[in-house]
Amino acid sequence: MNKEQFLAKMNDALKRLPSTEREDILQDFREHFEVGLSEGNSEEEIAKGLGSPHQIAKEMVASYRLEQVEESASTGNVLRAVWAVIGLGFFNLVIVLGPFVALAGIVFSGWAAGLGFILTPILYLLNVVIYPEIFAWFDLFFALFLSGLGIFIAIGMFYVTRWLFKGFVKYLNFNVRMVKGGMKHA
Amino acid sequence: MNVQFKKGVLELCVLVLLDKQDRYGYELVQKISDQIAISEGSVYPLLRRLTKEGYFTTYLKESSEGPSRKYYALTEEGRTYLGDLLTDWEKFTNGVNQLIKEGVRDE
Repeated sequence: MNKEQFLAKMNDALKRLPSTEREDILQDFREHFEVGLSEGNSEEEIAKGLGSPHQIAKEMVASYRLEQVEESASTGNVLRAVWAVIGLGFFNLVIVLGPFVALAGIVFSGWAAGLGFILTPILYLLNVVIYPEIFAWFDLFFALFLSGLGIFIAIGMFYVTRWLFKGFVKYLNFNVRMVKGGMKHA
Repeated sequence: MNVQFKKGVLELCVLVLLDKQDRYGYELVQKISDQIAISEGSVYPLLRRLTKEGYFTTYLKESSEGPSRKYYALTEEGRTYLGDLLTDWEKFTNGVNQLIKEGVRDE
């Protein structure tokens, strides 16, 4: 692989990044080739030493996605970051996707339970409208009690979600730092 | 050597190399790959990340041979971070070395 081929592959793998970011990254590698050439190495040797342009680019993309999450923690940004970190290697499919699905499950079921409880009185009254004969004060009060409980669960879930989310982003950062990353003898 | 191991240590290597003088990317990569077998390209994502985290600043400097080069300089924040990493590293390696010594003696 010569310089042009290396840079073209890298450019291709970085095409979803904004062009300023991409250009900045490519410039560093152009410089690397230029200095290497001036020290008497061939383009092929330099490219071989650098390793897979695809793998380097993946790592760049994952880091960029995580920065985006830190700027704005939207669902889309988080999903893109998770996706990019998973893409770093097969190993990550297990150690990132697994915990992510589990956490998403916990968050989803917590919110579902909270909202369900909050809505109980409304559902109960709807039921009473349709079948007035089943009305009982105890049931109404119990439904109101569940609604109160639901509000507490929802408030709790708000904090739990935020906390789990922050923890998970830290975990992703740790992954980008420690796992894989184009090392020889991997 | 274990891959995860090396990647964690790479950060320390880069910071140490910049402690006494500013260096350009190619130079950093060469210094490290002279000592440790790495894919040289993996140093660049690291440099980029540490720059964005505020541990380095960069500037362009003309070179006598060829185009200008991007130099990396350690910030105060980076120096503090290096100090922390070195302390951790020393504790860790001392611990491991001690265990190795004891292990070897027992055999």
